[in-house]
Amino acid sequence: MKRVMVGFLCLILVLSVMILSGCSNNTIDNQGSGSGKKISVYTSFYPMYDFTKKIGGDKINLTNLVPAGTEPHDWEPTPSDMVNLEKADVLIYNGAGMENWIDKVLNSIKNKKLITVETAKGLKLLDNSDKSEDLMYDPHVWLNSMLAKQQMEAIKNALVTADPSNKDYYEKNYADNAKKLDDLDQEYKATVAKFKSKDIVVAHQAFGYLCEAYGLKEVAIEGLTADSEPSPARMVEIVKFAKENNLKFIFFEELVSPKVAQAIAKEVGAETAVLNPLEGLEEDDIKAGKDYFSVMRENLEVLKKALE
Amino acid sequence: MLEIFQYDFMQKAFITGILIAIITPCIGVVVVLKRLSMIGDSLSHNSLAGVAAGLAFGLNPILGAVLFSIAAAFGIDRVRKSFPRYSEIAIAVIMSTGIGLAGILSGFVKNSANFNSFLFGSIVAISDFELYLVIGLSAIVILAVIFLFKELFYITFDEEAARLAGIPIKSINFVFTLLTAVTISVSARTVGTLVISSLMVLPVATAMQIAKSYKQTVVFAVIFALIFTLSGLSISYYADFKPGGTIVLVGILTLICVLIYKNVLSKAIVKRAIRCHNHN
Repeated sequence: MKRVMVGFLCLILVLSVMILSGCSNNTIDNQGSGSGKKISVYTSFYPMYDFTKKIGGDKINLTNLVPAGTEPHDWEPTPSDMVNLEKADVLIYNGAGMENWIDKVLNSIKNKKLITVETAKGLKLLDNSDKSEDLMYDPHVWLNSMLAKQQMEAIKNALVTADPSNKDYYEKNYADNAKKLDDLDQEYKATVAKFKSKDIVVAHQAFGYLCEAYGLKEVAIEGLTADSEPSPARMVEIVKFAKENNLKFIFFEELVSPKVAQAIAKEVGAETAVLNPLEGLEEDDIKAGKDYFSVMRENLEVLKKALE
Repeated sequence: MLEIFQYDFMQKAFITGILIAIITPCIGVVVVLKRLSMIGDSLSHNSLAGVAAGLAFGLNPILGAVLFSIAAAFGIDRVRKSFPRYSEIAIAVIMSTGIGLAGILSGFVKNSANFNSFLFGSIVAISDFELYLVIGLSAIVILAVIFLFKELFYITFDEEAARLAGIPIKSINFVFTLLTAVTISVSARTVGTLVISSLMVLPVATAMQIAKSYKQTVVFAVIFALIFTLSGLSISYYADFKPGGTIVLVGILTLICVLIYKNVLSKAIVKRAIRCHNHN
């Protein structure tokens, strides 16, 4: 018994030394980052990161929480993410149910100076038409470039509040990018106007806002995440729909298994193509210079091929 | 032609379903009797670690999954030797190893795509390549089970007696473990983890209730697996259910019916025996 007690005490001792040394590391870290003047900004996932980068430029220290290429629906924060958030100035997220982890994270951090921005707040949200999920609204607002503009404005306002000394810089960047978003919107409108067909079959219901803005109609293969399979009846429904409307393409996403889309495409003699909902971008693609604008234009090209 | 067979993906689902329903219980009988019923779950968690390792070190993730699954199956075999009377310890140890490795290795993956999507399998979304893979695999498993029938029977019940009877148990065990690992990892990606790990156990459990010999158990288990898969697929088609879950639940319902039937039957036999006794 005595020996067990001694062993237990030793274990506690070792653990506490480890925890203490961990803490002291953190304090050194703190001092290190305190010397820089840039504000530290965290974003939840790729579109938020890209928008913030476009406005904050090199005046902010920007970190994306959900790593490149990961589905933002099933991400969870690591302890070091939490430590970083305790020291952050601004946290930018989409909201509307996109980040189902955000409430837990916000409730558990005690960072009083943290400015949080829910960019989808105040936008006109679409109801979630997939009743099997418990989301109230469709969160994929950024795929409508006019709504993306409003999200960017919310981000700009937050950065100005957190760092008023660079106000002009942020305002100018916002104005530039707002202009680019207007151009993108015009491009979409002009291209879609020439489409013969308006129906698309997509992997998961992500393109509601895009479709609403430009008069397209999406049919989503039900809840197509990696671990849920469609029922055969649903597949038949989609096959019939695709045949009746003579669809040439079935779309899937980079982050989701393409197997079901391929099976349906084979059935109707269509091709498959990637339509990117921009929930994440692989690191290689970011390095290759891809961003919101280039991916949105790629999507437009793919849509053009499929519908014109 | 029936409406259900008019679609290419349903035809493939039925062909694959039939093949999987034949080979899985053949392996499942040995697995269940060796008390390794949870091996399907254990190996699929290790497959996930294999996908992570493949992505981290630039290998093909599917190949990584198969290799990890094979290593895990041999790991279970080894740990089982240290705890001869508690096979489930081996399963739990190797399953935790897989989960732990997947968690750590995923941190090394730079472009961490959705891991699960590499292992995604659904009986209604099978590619041509996967269909041929399952046909080839089935041929190998069926041949192995027919030719090694007596040997497998021996090592399942009593390895000691098998050794005395002159059966090369080491190589038989090696072949069997390899077959199990490859079957599980290939089928998990084709028809899904749920279907494969339940077809390993449910038909065997149902067959054990009514069969009177080892051979009967194998035959009944295959028949039950075919019933589960074919009726599960048809029900899911007409009732708009998810196919994997439907197949499993048909199996569970059948098992419950067989259990109730046996219970009623044995009570009736006891009653009759008592009545006869009283008459005398």
